Amino acid sequence: MSEHRRQILQMLAEGKINADEAERLISAVEQPTVSGGSDSSSAAAGKPRPKYLRVLVDSEDDGGHEGPTKVNVRVPMQLLRAGVRLAGLIPAPALSRANSAMQEQGFPIDLSQIKPENLEELVEHLNDLTVDVDQKDANTKVKVRVFCE
Amino acid sequence: MIPFVAVVSLRNQESRTFRLWIPLFLIWLILLPVAVLLSPLIFLACLICRVNPFRGVAVMWQILSALADTELAVEHRSAGMSFHIF
Repeated sequence: MSEHRRQILQMLAEGKINADEAERLISAVEQPTVSGGSDSSSAAAGKPRPKYLRVLVDSEDDGGHEGPTKVNVRVPMQLLRAGVRLAGLIPAPALSRANSAMQEQGFPIDLSQIKPENLEELVEHLNDLTVDVDQKDANTKVKVRVFCE
Repeated sequence: MIPFVAVVSLRNQESRTFRLWIPLFLIWLILLPVAVLLSPLIFLACLICRVNPFRGVAVMWQILSALADTELAVEHRSAGMSFHIF
């Protein structure tokens, strides 16, 4: 029996957690070993790294006046990474101006706190991103899909 | 590897397709001496903005390299346009 499992069972015995919580904790602890390794990077290694960010827009006009419109954009992930590195080169005075402009627009974000390694992590997490938007009006039907492939 | 060719494809409502191949490598060849001539000014501008010029050049090169395989296509009714960088 592993140390984590023993601790969870101990907490269950002491009444600190209930049976459902114990089951969830045990399954969370055992998950990496089931997937074939304790290292999270080994689990990620099995999944192919996406190369592109795709944006698909499909708009249909049921009224028949405008006709259907389709937009298909494919951006290499490398371009996003390079853009992120470019953002890291923005000088401090420009950053402070950007911060104040964003605060005026209601986004209290301090861009100077965002480091290149954080942004790299952000781009890495885009891999799991999928956004599906379906909008239906009286005459138009718009479908937007954003995903990585 | 930086992109060498871009293709712009236009299709009108009579389904006629017009395809334009843009030789980017010629543009790079033309821009290279210009960039070399302007490099002291670029270096100076980087120093004024407190940006490491070598890092700046490296990032610009990375962006150029990453442009390959970028694709944009828009279709409306039977007309459409697409832009692909190879």
